Amino acid sequence: MTLLDFARGPALQWSLIIFLVGVMWRLVGSLFYMARRDLARPRHEGSIRDGLGTIATRSLPAPQFEKRIRFQHYSGYAWHIGLFICVLFFAPHILFFESVLGFGWPNLPNGIILVTAAITLALLIALLIRRATNPVLRIISNADDYISMAVVILPLLTGILAFAHIGARYETMLALHFLSVESLFIWFPFGKLMHTALVLPSRFQAGAMYGRRGVKA
Amino acid sequence: MNTSRDTLRDFREKMGRLGENFAREVVADDERVRRAKTTFTSKLDGRMAVDLETCIHCGMCAEACHFYEATGDESYAPVRKVEPLRRFYRRELSPLRWFFRPFTRDLTANELREWQPLVYDACTGCGRCDMMCPMGISISRMIRVMRDGLASAGLVPDELQALDNEQRDKGTVFGVGAEELRQCLADLAQQGVEIPLDRQPADVVVLTTAVEVLMFKETLAATGKIMSRLPYSWTMLSNAFDASNLGMLSGDGATQKKATAAIVDAARTCGAKTVVVPETGHAYQALRWEGPNELGEAPPFEVLALSEFIARETESGHLKLKKQGNGASVTYHDPCRLGRQSGVYDEPRQVLGDLGIEIREADSNRRENYCCGGGCAEYVIQRSAPLRQKAFEIKRREFDGTDADAVVTSCANCRVNLMIGAADSGWDRQVEGLAELVAANLAD
Repeated sequence: MTLLDFARGPALQWSLIIFLVGVMWRLVGSLFYMARRDLARPRHEGSIRDGLGTIATRSLPAPQFEKRIRFQHYSGYAWHIGLFICVLFFAPHILFFESVLGFGWPNLPNGIILVTAAITLALLIALLIRRATNPVLRIISNADDYISMAVVILPLLTGILAFAHIGARYETMLALHFLSVESLFIWFPFGKLMHTALVLPSRFQAGAMYGRRGVKA
Repeated sequence: MNTSRDTLRDFREKMGRLGENFAREVVADDERVRRAKTTFTSKLDGRMAVDLETCIHCGMCAEACHFYEATGDESYAPVRKVEPLRRFYRRELSPLRWFFRPFTRDLTANELREWQPLVYDACTGCGRCDMMCPMGISISRMIRVMRDGLASAGLVPDELQALDNEQRDKGTVFGVGAEELRQCLADLAQQGVEIPLDRQPADVVVLTTAVEVLMFKETLAATGKIMSRLPYSWTMLSNAFDASNLGMLSGDGATQKKATAAIVDAARTCGAKTVVVPETGHAYQALRWEGPNELGEAPPFEVLALSEFIARETESGHLKLKKQGNGASVTYHDPCRLGRQSGVYDEPRQVLGDLGIEIREADSNRRENYCCGGGCAEYVIQRSAPLRQKAFEIKRREFDGTDADAVVTSCANCRVNLMIGAADSGWDRQVEGLAELVAANLAD
């Protein structure tokens, strides 16, 4: 079995199993952890509406805070969007999805994907440097923060190298690309990448809790 | 009848002596850690678990913290202040604890000691960071649990622990008990303000605080004048008059529950339909939001902040005000626990509008309002005075930016802290209570 066979075969299967079981385990464990009913009478009715409202409003920084967090907020959006464009609209990725799902969708030109990937990678590296040098980020960061950044950066980096035929031969680089994506799948349930699944419940409960008090959170 | 400099000086001296001759319980380090963990476990609920699981360590919360803004000290980043709780959760309670345990350090007593100034001196639980977090995480709730854990570990700062002990053991705060209240009400009666005591039954029970009795008798007098215009039977209760809850502020759950139960039981016995919480933000949070959950049931009466109550009575037409602003302008300081944490924004502004007073909003107001800098009993901690003063400078800048004639608020503790900040920085802006403005402008 070649490295590429391993990466495309058992490594992919096991990483997906770890991903799915881990995500379910953590989601169920978090969302069903000792829920307590608030016995205080609400000042304001409409918790569900308030919760949904906060899911929407926290997508943008509050105007009062906007100037203080502009770079961080919008650079976060930028790299997420860049990553999704590369994952979902690169022709070989769509072929891969088609082989699994049975259907595909139109791709973007390779040039656009390459530029997007390069910008995304540059942003992530800038954010990594910022995390290591900004006093606040440095003091609050732990291993999870760096591992999570690494498992997002590596698939982008190996993808660009494989596409551009830089470094090892194509098959090896492609195998490394697969393995780096699989490292992301494996780490996903253990680290902060889980915010992808938890951000909506977290925002919702903030909106609902404050909403009971008559505060638009 | 405004609070004089002498009264403020006397009160500050009283606060300065709180930590003296204070016998602290001796607790072994292992026991401290055990107690903190037990409290963390019992207080941490599903909502907080989701919050702890969702944090991405983006650090944006720092930009909302007045202590971080005032000093630039990265250890004041709100998420940093709850790090022991986060680690404890991850290691011992989280769904993946079996994975994290070998890689996650256990709590130590030294660490708990190290976090004491971050949790008590450098956080007022104002909740401004709650409004900033892109994940919707409530760090102020975690700070409450951190304080609970440190309190059970015997690590509350001396001054606050002394006040907590006093309320727990004697039922008084700053030495103000039933006798001191009677004397205060007798003084007010001599000035023509009658406040009924222990009249039963009564529809409305009005609470006050030791800080009002000592520092702001004029607020108490104003409350009496306002209540005398309303068509309700009302009273204060000598066995449950103080709405302060030092247990909630220190993190001592037993004192918190005892203080809340005393008010609820006395008001229930009195047959009250409404309990009016005085101009004190934390008291509202303790009775209105946390009380029912502490006691296991909602009380058989409504709980209203004084500003909410006044607004309702003016709207219903029971209370008539003279609209004589005379060109006066004020800026309204939202007490964190009444405003951002309880939604009482509009009522005080509605009352100021009814008085014909122009409101000039500070750049940060309502949900984004800056804390006075000394909330959550931070202002009784003597060692943190320099830090508090730096935070006050933010408020001062905000107030100065409005060019308003005076600052109005509806929290006696915010008022004390702002007055101290003003006195120590030579700032001459008047800090007034909402109830006094109302009482001075009651229409016939």
